[in-house]
Amino acid sequence: QTKLLLFPLSSSCSASFHSSGETQIVSEQAIQREETMLQCIFLLSDSGEVMLEKQLTGNRVDRSICVWFWDQLLSHGDSFKQQPVIASPTHYLFQVVREGITFLACTQVEMPPLMAIEFLCRVADVLSDYLEGLNEDVIKDNFIIVYELLDEMMDNGHPLTTEPNILREMIAPPNIVSKMLSVVTGNSSNVSETLPGATSSCVPWRTTDIKYANNEVYVDLVEEMDAIINRDGILVKCEVFGEVQVNSHITGVPDLALSFVNPSVLDDVRFHPCVRYRPWESYQILSFVPPDGQFKLMSYRVRKLKSIPLYVKPQITSDGGSSRISVMVGIRNDPGKAIDSISVQFQLPSCVSSTDLTANHGVVNVLSNKTCIWSIDRIPKDRAPLLSGTLLLENGLDRLHVFPTFQVGFRVQGVALSGLQIDKLELKVIPNRLYKGFRALTRGGQYEVRS
Amino acid sequence: MFPQFGATADTLSKASTIMFRIGTDAHLYDDPEDVNIAPLLDSKFDSEKCEALKRLLALIAQGFDVSNFFPQVVKNVASHSLEVKKLVYLYLLHYAQKRPNEALLSINSFQKDLGDTNPLVRAWALRTMAGIRLHAIAPLVLVAVGKCARDPSVYVRKCAATALPKLHDLRLEELSSTIEEIVGTLLTDNSPAVVGAAAAAFSSVCPNNYSLIGKNYKRLCTILPDVEEWGQIVLIGILLRYAIARHGLVRESMMFHLHSKEHSSSENDDSDVHSTVGKVGIDPSKKYDSELASMISRCYIEGPDDYLSRSSYSNRVSLAFSGAKFTSCKNNEDVKILLQCTSPLFWSNNSAVVLAAAGVHWIMAPRDNIQRIVKPLLFLLRSSRSSNYVVLCNIQVFAKATPYLFASHFENFFILSTDSYQTKALKLEILCTISTDSSIASILKEFQDYIRDPDRKFAADAVAAVGLCALQLPKMASTCLEGLLALTRQDSFTSDVRTSEEEAGVLVQAIMSIKMIIKQDPPSHEKVIVQLVRNLDSIKVPAARAIIIWMVGEYSKVGEIIPKMLLTVLKYIAWSFASESSETKLQTLNTVAKVLSNSRGENLETLQKIARYVLELAECDMNYVVRGRGCFFRKLLSCHLGSKKLEDEVITSPENEGLLNVLSEHMFHEQAIQQSPVPINYRVYLPGSLSQIVLHAAPGYEPLPKPCTILHDADTEADVSEQDGSGSFTGSLDEGSGSYNGSDHSVTSGGNTESGESGSSNEDENIQDPLIQISDESHLLPAASADLEELMSKRDLETWLDDQPSLPNSSIHKESKVPRSARISIKDIEKRVRPKTYELLDPANGNGMKVDYTFSSDVSNISPHVVTIQATFKNCSIETISNIVLKHEDSTTKPSDCSESSSQDDVPALVPMQEITSLEPGQATTETIHVRFHHHLLPLKLVIYFNGKSFPVKLRPDIGYFVKPLPMDVEVFRDKESHLPGMFECTRSCIFKGHVDDLNKEKGDHTFSKDKFLVVCESIALTMLSNANLFLVSVDMPIAAKHDDASGLCLRFSSEILSNSVPCLITVTAEGICSEPLNVAVKVNCEETVFGLNLLNRIVNFLS
Repeated sequence: QTKLLLFPLSSSCSASFHSSGETQIVSEQAIQREETMLQCIFLLSDSGEVMLEKQLTGNRVDRSICVWFWDQLLSHGDSFKQQPVIASPTHYLFQVVREGITFLACTQVEMPPLMAIEFLCRVADVLSDYLEGLNEDVIKDNFIIVYELLDEMMDNGHPLTTEPNILREMIAPPNIVSKMLSVVTGNSSNVSETLPGATSSCVPWRTTDIKYANNEVYVDLVEEMDAIINRDGILVKCEVFGEVQVNSHITGVPDLALSFVNPSVLDDVRFHPCVRYRPWESYQILSFVPPDGQFKLMSYRVRKLKSIPLYVKPQITSDGGSSRISVMVGIRNDPGKAIDSISVQFQLPSCVSSTDLTANHGVVNVLSNKTCIWSIDRIPKDRAPLLSGTLLLENGLDRLHVFPTFQVGFRVQGVALSGLQIDKLELKVIPNRLYKGFRALTRGGQYEVRS
Repeated sequence: MFPQFGATADTLSKASTIMFRIGTDAHLYDDPEDVNIAPLLDSKFDSEKCEALKRLLALIAQGFDVSNFFPQVVKNVASHSLEVKKLVYLYLLHYAQKRPNEALLSINSFQKDLGDTNPLVRAWALRTMAGIRLHAIAPLVLVAVGKCARDPSVYVRKCAATALPKLHDLRLEELSSTIEEIVGTLLTDNSPAVVGAAAAAFSSVCPNNYSLIGKNYKRLCTILPDVEEWGQIVLIGILLRYAIARHGLVRESMMFHLHSKEHSSSENDDSDVHSTVGKVGIDPSKKYDSELASMISRCYIEGPDDYLSRSSYSNRVSLAFSGAKFTSCKNNEDVKILLQCTSPLFWSNNSAVVLAAAGVHWIMAPRDNIQRIVKPLLFLLRSSRSSNYVVLCNIQVFAKATPYLFASHFENFFILSTDSYQTKALKLEILCTISTDSSIASILKEFQDYIRDPDRKFAADAVAAVGLCALQLPKMASTCLEGLLALTRQDSFTSDVRTSEEEAGVLVQAIMSIKMIIKQDPPSHEKVIVQLVRNLDSIKVPAARAIIIWMVGEYSKVGEIIPKMLLTVLKYIAWSFASESSETKLQTLNTVAKVLSNSRGENLETLQKIARYVLELAECDMNYVVRGRGCFFRKLLSCHLGSKKLEDEVITSPENEGLLNVLSEHMFHEQAIQQSPVPINYRVYLPGSLSQIVLHAAPGYEPLPKPCTILHDADTEADVSEQDGSGSFTGSLDEGSGSYNGSDHSVTSGGNTESGESGSSNEDENIQDPLIQISDESHLLPAASADLEELMSKRDLETWLDDQPSLPNSSIHKESKVPRSARISIKDIEKRVRPKTYELLDPANGNGMKVDYTFSSDVSNISPHVVTIQATFKNCSIETISNIVLKHEDSTTKPSDCSESSSQDDVPALVPMQEITSLEPGQATTETIHVRFHHHLLPLKLVIYFNGKSFPVKLRPDIGYFVKPLPMDVEVFRDKESHLPGMFECTRSCIFKGHVDDLNKEKGDHTFSKDKFLVVCESIALTMLSNANLFLVSVDMPIAAKHDDASGLCLRFSSEILSNSVPCLITVTAEGICSEPLNVAVKVNCEETVFGLNLLNRIVNFLS
């Protein structure tokens, strides 16, 4: 008599198989597989070394997956590096690359891919916040903290605590003082002995018992301008992505209300969990109990803008094996404040063998990967910055037929180019003295000029 | 996204990291083994312990195995320092599964910590205790979780919720009901944070237990915006599934819209739908849209694999959701509240939440409100580079189904030079899909820019996109053609210098696009063909030349100019034949052959000359394909070539010639085959799912539940609670229903052939009686009434009924109908009976030894008092296991004694089994063991000895196998039954659901559906026979007025108790609608009242 082992098989895994024979196999896998989300997180350095592994479930993922991953990366190059979801022979991989560090998460079952990606981004954010930047060294130097953070942020493959302010209370960041202290006293505990009060309050992002001698709150509008100027010099798309960043140090549990002069310019918005939806829906007022310290209150988008602060005019003419390039940069619409940190970056076409570029202002750098960066900083009063030079083409080509795209970076302090203006910030229960500060900043985002 | 203001801070921090590396753990990571770790672990100073643990973690991080320190580390779990604790926990969780026995040492400490006053300590202890995943302590953990689920601290309750899936992963079935219960309690928690974690637990523990959701649906919806973001993602999915399963699709939604197209006649009265269609401004003539959209919704509900694998395309369309019911979101509160509570989530900071909410609106929201999802989705494109791609994949599906949604937002999909190649390709595709008359100008302008992009692969894609746009908007065709033509003339392609491979790709793509556009309407694009041909001289890329030459042949008779210049062109290509690549040569041959066979009269001579020239050249070609084709054409075209010289070579009989003529005619003449629209075979998965990104069903992917598959939850719940009262025996065996669900897959896969057989059985010689024997007890509805004998007399109706399914059989039937049918029905169904397998020893606990057991239906040859059990021993370890023997726990009593003298003492005993000398790794063997249970229902404690070690195990008796089948016919059954009234009879009722799945599967699998009764009967019979050793006596079906009414369905089973041969009769009577869970009454008649009652409980247990 043959015996069939039939396990209680979740109907889920039957979806992909039809014949009963195959079902049999899957059902046996099902008993080994665990129905959790993420199984493991690896941190890889930019040379492919596994710096850290954190197993999240009982079903351990072998490191060999990283070897597979790195081999693929080497053989497929950049396009693989930019692929956020990868189906490997054994696992589904999610990758997020930050500052050369690859955050790799593995799963074997269906789960929302954005959840994994968003989580990895949060991990990267929290780590770079804790370690004041991300690179191979800081991660290795603080691997215990990374371990503790990962353990706190995820339990059994499901995110547990991801709010940075709460994490800070549970696991102390490695600041200079504590490091000095540890050298002197030899005691280096960075694990909090008590549970942050916030975890039990109705505002889980804020600890209740905060006291400050000086109450202050700063609101910054930080905007990035995206624009595309096509080959004919026409502005085809211009929009602003902005964030309202708040830094609050207020005693007790403050209830703030922020309103804008012109909320109608906003095309779409996204909020920190602390923002109440109802007041925004009815009156476009941001009503919230802020987390303590720095946080991103809201991000917004303003579409269909008509004016850009800078113009960049590239010209490429080619003739008989070499091409002449000239790029002019100037102010188109004066935003009223100084524009600084101006830079123009472009990728030289692969058929260019050598270049000879000079600028009448600023510094020109050509990197080994044929990226050319022209840092201008500020535009001088007396002359318009001009980059010019020749591009020597590879043998056999007599003219250039592909043209680079120029990415423009800039900063304008004190102005929000979207035109969004803060009206007022109100506090329901006013402490003795509250200092409020407002700032604005606009930067170039995906600001591209095609040639 | 934004680094902070101070640019200098960055450089400062870099400097500081170098300066202050001293204070960090750098030295531990760089050189973890430079000191002896072991003594540090035993140190009495916390700081030294910490250092040791950090070194161990560093080694783990670097991929070394340091599990040999496990015992020493475990000792430190009792430390009072929280930091030491945390580090120990990190280590423990990493290795616990590897060293289960030593991990057990930590349990006491966890138990103590669980009573700590500090909630953080409690939470950590619980997390770790559950995280080490040992079967042995699972009951302890469950108790702890139950306690923590009522903890005052929110954080601890949240950790309790996350501990549940860990317990569930162990798959201890006796715990599962308790786990689900705790999930239920946590779902009703006051704190949104706990509810979020409970939702995650729900989706991994019991995703189909909709009754838990049903009870709290409204509250869960209202609490949704306050739940923490990760919980929101999961909860949204759960609520969506519940709403579909409970109420079905929404009449006003996208998903319904496609439906209304198919059944437009039935929809006409619903003016509401039509007004919305008008408002949004969809062109109803666009059949493509509706077909695609219908496919999408089907895929959501059935899963694309099921949907696409269905036999034929027409079948797919005609097969409507017969089970799908619709609801209106205007008057359905549940749907309304779900949409209301998910809409603020569009403002969430978490992109996964936004996408999940958009998915709900996409599926459920009325069509005129669906516009709301557009802006949030587009905003997501800016959130991070990685999520960008995922969001685009989802937008692509949305845009395909409803291009108008995104039509006005086309500039969001303009391509940036920093985008990855995959992103660029996706954006191009979306741009093509959503282009409209008003936006096409700008989009084409963009495409022109892309063609000059340094990434040539992308440029080629852009060229292809231009072609696609032209197909979609025929008005733009000429503009697109102009642009493409200009491209082919570009000097980069025409210059004499070698062009790179990628460059050539762009050109080939351009010409392919031109070809595609021309194909739509060749006569009006005649000039384009002429221009292309003119360019032949300058175009050097072989593939491009080949296509142009093909076009010459294909359109040789189109328009006025082409026929005039044809001869010149042919001369040109013949002249250049020798220097072409083989690809182009082949097309040249084709073209010449086509033109020659088409031409009549004028220029024939010149044509023949050209053809002969080309064919001769071809036959001397280096490439054998070209040579072969040359020979082939020469033979085929021999009549057209018309040369005297050739005729002596080719022997052509007249009829042969005619044949060749016809052949060539068919091959080269107008191939105006109207291409039937290709069925669209995209694989579409639920929005936001992993499967949608990787385009195959990832394990664990489940399509939406079938609409309206759950009923009001009230009555089922009442029953569940009733069940729980029936003691420990019930608890241990109530996985019966689970096993049924598991096996029904194989049941239905076989069912297909089964039904086919039964359909054709009329003609079959040696007929198998159908499983179901139709009899005439139509007014038996009040079931099991006394005068059964009298009812049996009504034969005429029965013969009439019998005649239909099996004519030749009916005569035999009249003589000895019941016994025959009964005997055969058992044989038939036996193949599908799958006895349930229980686990005796888990490999994790048993050093890699896995022992499973199944109750066998064979009667033991040793003694009638003995139950036979099939035990499978499997070696899952990597070493050989030897001397395996299963013994009674009380090994002091002589086993030999047991078998003989046990008839006096009533203790359950095991007949000693033969020792298995050795098992190689991976090897499995099955042994029959005999157990004398003496009707004891408590688990029998046994010990497995092997390799000199012993492992205590528990064998759970199953009362269903304390009996053996007692074959009899219905008369005898009734007779016996009538002798066992009153106190010998006991009855209980329950809800039977097993057939519902089968019925649903039936709908999907078969084009014609099996009789519903048959499915229900089979389902009940299978469940019974798979769980107990019974004999199926008869199946009586009601003859009811209503098709769907299963009330009165009656199955009879007989058996006798093994030990004393007392007969035991079981009658199962069903009541209710076929397609819904049935009310089943089970009656057991048995002289042994206690035994009968126990058996009844067991039956009710596995039926429900």
